[in-house]
Amino acid sequence: MHWGALLERTWPRQRSTPAVLFRRADRCCSQGRYDEAAVFVAQGLRQAPDSSVGHLISAYLHVAGRRMDRAKGEFERVLAIDPFHPRALLGLARISIEDQDLATAKTFLDRALQYYSDFPEAQALREMLADWPRMKADGSEAPARALLGAPSQPAREYDVVAMRTDGRLVLLGMDEDRGRQLAQHLMQVYRTASATLSRADLGSLRSAAIDVGSCMVFLLKDADLLFSATLDGPVEVGAGSAHIGRLRNALGIRS
Amino acid sequence: MADHGTLTGPEGRRKSPGFARAPRARVFKEIVASLAKAANVRGGLLVTPDGLVIIAELPPRFQVEAVAALGATLGRELELGSARLGRGAFRMAVFAADGGTLFVCGSRPGFLILVGDRNVDVTSVRMALGRALDRLD
Repeated sequence: MHWGALLERTWPRQRSTPAVLFRRADRCCSQGRYDEAAVFVAQGLRQAPDSSVGHLISAYLHVAGRRMDRAKGEFERVLAIDPFHPRALLGLARISIEDQDLATAKTFLDRALQYYSDFPEAQALREMLADWPRMKADGSEAPARALLGAPSQPAREYDVVAMRTDGRLVLLGMDEDRGRQLAQHLMQVYRTASATLSRADLGSLRSAAIDVGSCMVFLLKDADLLFSATLDGPVEVGAGSAHIGRLRNALGIRS
Repeated sequence: MADHGTLTGPEGRRKSPGFARAPRARVFKEIVASLAKAANVRGGLLVTPDGLVIIAELPPRFQVEAVAALGATLGRELELGSARLGRGAFRMAVFAADGGTLFVCGSRPGFLILVGDRNVDVTSVRMALGRALDRLD
């Protein structure tokens, strides 16, 4: 049976005011029941199309479905109703961070903190961004060394990148466009992971292993040097990190 | 204006212990609780992709909201990076630090984040997380 029909039967009609519908939607969101939440929020918005709560929950549902353009539109509708809504500002800041538009993200977070100074999520993101220099990806810095492999011996590892923690590239083992895209991603991972580890009281990052099913990306940090390479297939984390460490040493890359 | 429920303030949408839990919420709670009990694991949380806490099982004084917001941002970057670089779908990541280990896993409802000691058994936790992801999805 369709969700809408099922829910119409389940909940008595006289109780279904927009406030009640949005509370149900919110509760479903909190439990990860996004399909049910979408039905409730759609019903609520039909009755109260200018509800900031309804549009906020709708935005959350789009984020949950990773539909960021639509989420952005809904957060903006919330701000059109309530220009300093902290959750809408936080949502737009997070989308800006994903788009690597850090200046806009800072503006949204500053606005949220202007009225709600005790807002731990906004504070955490704002502090994370405070010392992020924009990574140079325009080719204006010294060119990175290219990694040349022997064509007859395909390397077991690929997507090799070495860079400084300020974003300066040291070595790229792939074409330049992909290399810069990969380096930018790794830098964003490094900075976000460092901020998360710090807030979790875990100290400084030493290494990372990222499992994407078909391959695993390894990242090693040594002083101001970040070194990363990818290995195919499932790899045991310790063995993979050791392998990447040996590769770094063999390439003569030092912190 | 419609009733804003728990959503208006910056503290909105935190886990509320008052409402009746549906089976799915119980599943989330069971998953996080069982992972948090593993050897040398300090605790864990499940957060929505926008960084709101669904379930948290963490030591007192842990900065839950801040770690949730940052962990979700990290999880999204891991998802996006995999997609932009033409890799497979992000499953999980392990971050080893001077004072402990952080696990971040992607799933449909959100990100499962575990905090462990330095000497946590990464292989067995990864296996447990793999099983948890199957249940979450």
